[in-house]
Parts: sequence; structure tokens; C-alpha cells
Amino acid sequence: MLEVRDLHVHYGLSHALHGVTLGVGDGEVVGLFGRNGVGKTTLIKAIAGWLKPSRGVIQFGGKPLGGLQPDRICRLGIGLVPEDRRVFPGLTVEENLRLGFLQAPQRTKALMAARLASVYARFPRLAERRRHAGKSLSGGEQQMLAIARVLVGEPKLLLIDEPTEGLAPIVAEEIFALIASLRSEGISVLLVEQHLHRALDVCTRCYAMSRGQIVFEGGVAEPGERDALLAELAV
Amino acid sequence: MADMHGLIDTLQFVFAPQIVNGLSIGVAVILMALGLTIIFGLLDVINMAHGEFYALGAYLAVSLLAAGVNFWVCLVAVPVLMLPVGYVVERALIQRVFDRKDRHVLTLLLTFGLGVVLEDAFRVVYGPNTVRVDTPIGGAAQILGMYFPNYRLFVMAVGAAIVAAVWIVVFRTSMGAIVRAAAYDRQMASSLGVPVARVYSATFAFGIGLAGLAGVLLAPIYSVFPTMGKDFILLAFTVVIVGGLGSIKGAVIAGIVLMQIQALASLYISPVWTDPLLFGVMVLVLMWRPRGLFGALGNG
Repeated sequence: MLEVRDLHVHYGLSHALHGVTLGVGDGEVVGLFGRNGVGKTTLIKAIAGWLKPSRGVIQFGGKPLGGLQPDRICRLGIGLVPEDRRVFPGLTVEENLRLGFLQAPQRTKALMAARLASVYARFPRLAERRRHAGKSLSGGEQQMLAIARVLVGEPKLLLIDEPTEGLAPIVAEEIFALIASLRSEGISVLLVEQHLHRALDVCTRCYAMSRGQIVFEGGVAEPGERDALLAELAV
Repeated sequence: MADMHGLIDTLQFVFAPQIVNGLSIGVAVILMALGLTIIFGLLDVINMAHGEFYALGAYLAVSLLAAGVNFWVCLVAVPVLMLPVGYVVERALIQRVFDRKDRHVLTLLLTFGLGVVLEDAFRVVYGPNTVRVDTPIGGAAQILGMYFPNYRLFVMAVGAAIVAAVWIVVFRTSMGAIVRAAAYDRQMASSLGVPVARVYSATFAFGIGLAGLAGVLLAPIYSVFPTMGKDFILLAFTVVIVGGLGSIKGAVIAGIVLMQIQALASLYISPVWTDPLLFGVMVLVLMWRPRGLFGALGNG
């Protein structure tokens, strides 16, 4: 589904990604781990079209994404839940959600209503707060809105960057449960996450990055048999 | 009792006409300021040619009227004709430099240069002299014993309707939500499928359309001359700065308040001093609230 080959990204003179190669298959939840500043978010931004790679290939469903604007990438079926949520503070919850529907090829009122109803059924808290401004939501609610907003567009692949950062453990659990449910629905996910133990429970495969490179690739092993894997991933 | 009559007379014959004058100028300034503030709020671009687009609207009306087109048709046709002008200017000038680091300076210079070119073009095409446009509605209406020119009342009504319509479009429709989202966070809006470049061009065109509409509306009141945009743009900028760059509510409230201050102050001080008075108010507001009275477009 998603294929990244030999990707290089520069920030001015700084070489942030050094030939990253990575893939996400249909229905996979792939974890991307590593310390802060190793290039995980840079990779997500490059896939989403926020950064222009200096070299390498990004393909989605066989189509090259190089040079496409983020809105075109979104229309191909890639949904982005960025690191800092980026909820629109002046827009209501429902306005935020409706924006996620913009990329649908057929935008009928009935379809929009059905998608909103489906999202509200999944996130009852957002349904209660549908008329509230984005800025009035708690951190957990904003994170749910950021994910829900993308789900309205029914993406084929979700890029989720640090979804539990700064959230209370109980809210983080809800986010992991949500990602697990996405997995059971066959939605592909590329997940960047710091909570290794919990993230491995929802992933099917994982990568570890260090200094702008992929340094590990493998399965997630069974719970209780992950000591060696955790040692590999704690790069 | 005699004092009471004197007070009523003063209110009726001195203050009320000035208030109506202030409101009719205020409406035109607000239309200009709305365009400016929406363009700034969304694109982060200060459109220095906005005054000349106002003049272009007035001159287009002059041409259409000379060709025998009815004033009321002009009132609709001119803003519509201004839309493609705005769209092309945004695509050809603004978007060309939009991703550059020094875009603030570049867009300021580009739009300033465009304004100079437009102003000289008016001189070449229409000559340096003032062109008069006949008032389409003559006479005056008597309201509570006071007489108000019908056309000024009409300008106020149209202006209020347009402000209300803009407010509804921006804050109550999906299209408005898209504009506000793109104003607040261009990247995120784009990643949700918003065609940001097209939204920018369309919004710029809309702001230019509003300037053109103000040009037609005010042509019968102030006449039409090449530098008419210069006088007006200073007032519009003052209103936008006091209201808060990018704030629609700010532009409306500051427009009404500042134009009333100007209109009523001119009863007591020489009209030459009313503009400096407004700039003084602007300085005071900025000392108190450096970002102006209200927040920006995308922040709600």
C-alpha cells in the first residue's frame, strides 16, 4: 500500500533522513519507534506532502507522491493525524469534522450525515460537544477530534504521530483501544509512538529509527516474549 | 423649556445629519476594511493596492454608465467583473512569491507597485479630472422630523446587508469554515483536502469584489478621480488596525466607531484635523492592545 524507498530529506544544510526504506501493507498497523529527533515526524511529514524529499521515492497504491500537494495526497486516501493535533480552535467540533469530508469523491448531504453519525457513534463525547469550539476541548478530546476528523474521510491509510503525547494514562488507553479497533476494521496505520509496550499491543509490525535511518524492522512478538524486541527498539 | 428645545434642535439639525454622514462613510470604509482584513486574515498579505481596486470599481461604473448601462445593473456587474481581476492578481503576483521567506516585503512591494500602475492607468484612460456620477436615487426622506438623503440611506442599508451576508458566509457556512481553517493552519487544512491555493485566490478575489462594490456605491457621493483610493485606503487601514488585523467583527465595530468620531469631531474642529484625530485613536488603541481590539480570522 505505502512504499518508501531510499528517502532523503534535508532541512537546509541539515540532513534529516538518510535513505529511509519502509512499507505499510493493507490492513497493517505499523509502529515507528525511536528517540526524539531521529526523524520519525520528518518521515510522516514527507509522506503527507508537508516536506519535499531531496531524493527517494514515496508511492501509495503504486502512485508516486513526489511533488504532490497535501490536499492531493489526502484525496488519494492518506489521512494525517499530526503530532500536535492541529485542531482548528475557532471552528466547532462539527465544523472540524466536516472539513474531513471535503476529500470524499462524492460529497452528498446524505453521505456526510451518515459519516458524521458513524463518527459520533464511535466518539460519543464529540457528539455531546459538537457545537463547542475546538479550543474548548481537553487534550484527549482534541486528540479524538483529530483522529475522528480524518476518519470522516474514510482514509485507506492513517498516519498517526504521537497520539498519546501529553495525555493522561486513562485517555491514552482509549486512544490505543481506538487504534486496535481501526486495525480490526482493516484500516492501515503508520503509528509513531513513544509508549513502546502499549503500542506493540496494537501493531502488526514495527520499525525503529536512529539518526535518520531505519535500524530495525520486524514483527511485534507475543506479549511476554518481547524483552529482546524492546531492547532492539530502545535505540 | 427653551433650553430643551435648543437641545432637541441641536440633536435634530446638527448631530443627526453628521451621524448619518458618518454612517454612510462608515459603511463604505467597512466594505473596504472587510476586504483588507479578510485578505490579511487568510493570506497574511497587506494589499497596498486595495484603494486602487476601490477606484477601479468606481471607474468601471463610470465606463458602464457611459455605455448606457443602468446604475443598478452596474452595482451588481462591477463587483462581479472585479472577481476575475482579483483572482488573476492573486495567481500572478501573490502566489508567485507566497512560499518565499521574504514574502511579506515582496507582497507589500508588489501590491504597492500595482497600485501605482493602476492609479496612472486611470489618469491615462480617464484623465486627471474628477468625473461626476449622478445620484440614482434623488430626494430625501423625513425620519422623526429629520431629513436624510435617500441615497445615503440606501448606501447604509446595502452596506449593512453586505456585512451581514459576509458574516453569515464566513461564520455559518461550510465555505466559511474552509476559509477560516485555511486562515488558521494552511498545512493542516491542505492535509484535510482543502485546495488551499484556490481558496486563497477566491478569497482575494472576494475582497477585491467588495472594494469594487464600495467604489460603485460611493461614486455618486464623492465623485471619481484617479487618487480617490489613496484618501480612502488610509481610513480603511486605520479601521483594520484598530479592529485587529484579520478580524471581521473588529473591522465593522472600528469602522462604525471611528467614522462617528470623525463625523462628530468635525463639528468642533477643522476637518483637516479629523484624520490626525483618528490616527491618534489608533495609536492609543495600539498602546493598550497591540493586536487591535479583536482577534484574527482563523482564531474565531
